Amino acid sequence: MSPQQLNMAAVGFRNWARALSKGKQPGFSALFSQVRAASGPSKGMLPGPYPQTPEERAAAAKKYNMRVEDYEPIPDNGEGYGDYPQLPDRSQHERDPWYSWDHPDLRRNWGEPIHWDFDMFIRNRVDTSPSPVAWHTMCKHLFGFVGFMLLMFYLGEKFPSYQPVAPKQYPYSNLHLERGEDPEKQPEEVKHFNI
Amino acid sequence: MGAHLARRYITETETEPDPAKPFGFDPEFGFDERKEREMVASQAQMNLAQVPVLQRDYCAHHLIKLMKCKRDNWPNFLACKHERHDWDYCEHQDYVMRMKEYERERRLQMRKKRVEEAQAA
Repeated sequence: MSPQQLNMAAVGFRNWARALSKGKQPGFSALFSQVRAASGPSKGMLPGPYPQTPEERAAAAKKYNMRVEDYEPIPDNGEGYGDYPQLPDRSQHERDPWYSWDHPDLRRNWGEPIHWDFDMFIRNRVDTSPSPVAWHTMCKHLFGFVGFMLLMFYLGEKFPSYQPVAPKQYPYSNLHLERGEDPEKQPEEVKHFNI
Repeated sequence: MGAHLARRYITETETEPDPAKPFGFDPEFGFDERKEREMVASQAQMNLAQVPVLQRDYCAHHLIKLMKCKRDNWPNFLACKHERHDWDYCEHQDYVMRMKEYERERRLQMRKKRVEEAQAA
């Protein structure tokens, strides 16, 4: 590590030690102080509580860089989404591949509101694009074919196909010794004839 | 080609013989005299030649001759045509005998059914 990096590490360590000794809360919770680095989002940019009034809605829409008509927060069911917008659950596969996006791999433009599950909807992961044929048609075809094949195999077991010949005749009492049967036991007498 | 399957499963389900079950009729029935099949190769000879168990049938002596011929003429794989033909012909006759046995069983079953119907009437 360069001397500059060592210095930075020392500064970070000193801040940590200072927070631990001078923090208002005792012990371990002193580490989770409200001091944040300037590189992160400012207080106004972070999500807030669920908007109650139209003014709060307008402010939240502006914060998320959306039009007021488009902005719809996730319904407040106690799970803590706050004022985060409800965006359609469509993966990035469905977006135009030929449009010149700012980030072509993510198919997203700068400043566009990010879906809650954006990391799930990237092109390497979950794909919500429509199937070429309707889902129920695909199910019908697949299960129909599999069911038909199962039925045919079952019928093939029940009514096997065979050649109209008698079983093959083997000498020496059906190869009693060659099959590894008991050599002491007398095998039943088997006679084969010409026909 | 497959008429026996139609007979077995659709039209004559009682009389068509099932090759999985043993054939119950007396082998001498209907014949004046019947010659027994004779086995030429002995068990010791088949063991020495290491003939596979499923090929130790009534044509094994031809097979042993063929194996010896192939062993002696290797790498000339075209050499043993005569021995191979002998073995094939023996196996063919064995298969024809199997077909005849099946047909015999079938006719005996039909005859049995006719006799029962005549007795019932």
